[in-house]
Amino acid sequence: MGDGGTTYSGVNPNAVWLNSRGIWLSYVIAVTILHLILLSIPFLNVAQAWTLTNVVHNIGNYIFLHMLKGTPWETNWDQGKSRLLTHWEQIDFGEQFTTTRKFLFLAPVILFILASFYTKYDPLHFVFNLSTMLLVLIPKLPQLHGVRIFGINKY
Amino acid sequence: MPLPRLTPGDRLEQRRHGGRTCAQALQERFAQLRPTPVTARKVGFTTKIKKMSQEVTQCLTYVNYGMLTLFGYFRDYLRKSGLETTHSAIERKKMKDFVPLYQSFESFVTRNIYMRIRDCGNRPICSVPSAEFDVLEMVSDDGNWHLRLTGKSRRCVNVASYNYLGFAENTGPCADAAAKALQQYGAGVCSTRQELGHYSIHEELEQTTARFLGVEDAVTFGMGFATNSMNIPALMGGKGCLILSDEKNHASLVLGARLCSTVIKVFKHNDMEDVERKLREAIIHGQPRTHRAWRKILIIVEGIYSMEASIIKLPDLIRLKKKYGAYLYLDEAHSIGALGQTGRGVTEYWGVDPRDVDIMMGTFTKSFAAAGGYIGGSKRLINYLRAYSHSTTYACSMAAPVAQQVISSMKIIMGEDGTNRGQLRIKQLAANTKYFRQRLVEMGFIVYGNDDSPIVPVIICMPAKIAAFSRELHQQNVGVPVVGFPATRLMESRARFCLSAAHTREMLDKVLDAISDVGDRLQLKYSLNPTTKAASAEECYKQVDSLAHEE
Repeated sequence: MGDGGTTYSGVNPNAVWLNSRGIWLSYVIAVTILHLILLSIPFLNVAQAWTLTNVVHNIGNYIFLHMLKGTPWETNWDQGKSRLLTHWEQIDFGEQFTTTRKFLFLAPVILFILASFYTKYDPLHFVFNLSTMLLVLIPKLPQLHGVRIFGINKY
Repeated sequence: MPLPRLTPGDRLEQRRHGGRTCAQALQERFAQLRPTPVTARKVGFTTKIKKMSQEVTQCLTYVNYGMLTLFGYFRDYLRKSGLETTHSAIERKKMKDFVPLYQSFESFVTRNIYMRIRDCGNRPICSVPSAEFDVLEMVSDDGNWHLRLTGKSRRCVNVASYNYLGFAENTGPCADAAAKALQQYGAGVCSTRQELGHYSIHEELEQTTARFLGVEDAVTFGMGFATNSMNIPALMGGKGCLILSDEKNHASLVLGARLCSTVIKVFKHNDMEDVERKLREAIIHGQPRTHRAWRKILIIVEGIYSMEASIIKLPDLIRLKKKYGAYLYLDEAHSIGALGQTGRGVTEYWGVDPRDVDIMMGTFTKSFAAAGGYIGGSKRLINYLRAYSHSTTYACSMAAPVAQQVISSMKIIMGEDGTNRGQLRIKQLAANTKYFRQRLVEMGFIVYGNDDSPIVPVIICMPAKIAAFSRELHQQNVGVPVVGFPATRLMESRARFCLSAAHTREMLDKVLDAISDVGDRLQLKYSLNPTTKAASAEECYKQVDSLAHEE
């Protein structure tokens, strides 16, 4: 195997692995499995299961795409440029409006719509669903590329 | 393949080539070299199940990576809370208020994935890497963090070394000649080429290389990687130059390109339409801000790509280069000696004049079983490189026994030693390649690359199967390198077999049986349509036998 997880040819794999074949299907299947697990918990009703799916998905999305910075492998080739960038900012080398970014932008929206439907537009559930959706959609806007509000998560 | 529309330039070429455009001539050439087409079958039920199983494999690969990540986080937590001993470097307690020295997220993959399968790589060997070699056994008591030798070794079939023509031997005419050169010149050179490191054996080596390649002159260097990284900056040093580099180029080419102050554009792997598009864009728009014309444009490609085993589409590239006035740098590290009827590399394979390639680079490490690299081209180019290359100015030249090994092996390949041993080796390699690839495809593995390349990458999608494949084959005495993410794409982890003229058919059969057995147990036979071309491999072996009996 390569020496300790480093790559040759100087391409950051974080920028391209979300374009791999079958990643969309796997993403949808993973969310479905999460939902089925939550539905199988006996004391949760359907509305709570949907809201929990939405919230857990959004929190996971936020942590992996917007909170963790850098790469889990050594980046010898780019002199640490990607160490300060979150995964979202590294996708497709910073190019905006690519297909992957559109897909990842739409996923929380679709989950929000489904969750709102299945919770019968209950106000309390709406608050949770909307707030987590905004938490995960606002960092994805191209205007917020590289922006760190109040210096949170800068280094 | 539809014919391109005839442009005015093409019509001019048509008049020149007697009624056929270059593209039409190329089409005929491609048609000769294209393998026989797979007959279209109706997609039956079993094929549908198999297609679904491919989708399932893809999803399971992502699940595999996800599980590894989750377990990685879990183990990191155990290490942090002290429930598990931490073997990697950690900060001292009293430095906790200082800026941290290590960013632990960056070594996540090393700690949690690479360390677990570390025993599959870096296996020490203790014999000459010919068709078989002795691999030293290593064991670990703490999950591969510390590996120790047991002192025992295991004799394995060598499908890992780049020993294409089987010259990695410690007996025979090459070894004897190298020993004599050692007696005459000593082991080291102790000087750079431009000072006192230019020996008569280097002269002989360069003339032999130039004769072998069919170019005017050649210059050689002591290290193959350094040939690229030290000479591309010497060639493309000025401002206003453009490098078009294939996306799968080797690290030495990427480093060489980055060491110059040029603009680098990357084109899709082996995609000539992308090359043409980027050439046109570059010429039309000019340099980035000033829009002046580029001073020179260099296209950097390889003959055979070692990870993909694909062969560059050279005739198309030469046509483009001539049409748009660019230069071509061809890195034949893996293809020299391994392709072509007389082993002259990818130019002979396609029937292209080697003088059409401006800069022919290659290494002596693979087919010639020595070390070092060369650059061949016109006399002007080579004289320039002799004066201005970073390697001739600062690096010591090739050691004399190594140079002698190259000279002897080149003479054997060219047939100048009076026997047909070189021809026999080339034919044996070609037969082995055809046979091995054909058998693997018949078994149902996904094999990448061109049917004529002696490198055979077999796709193992899942990361855990990489380790299992390597270890199981090691148990069955076959030594094979495996490589996975992040060195390859996420879905394309692979095992890479390198065939050699030293392999006999019995050895290949043994290896293939082991691969088939392991492939069945690990369910690696993903392919949907195993094609068979039964006749060709047998013919090649008959040719080899007749040639061997001529001796």
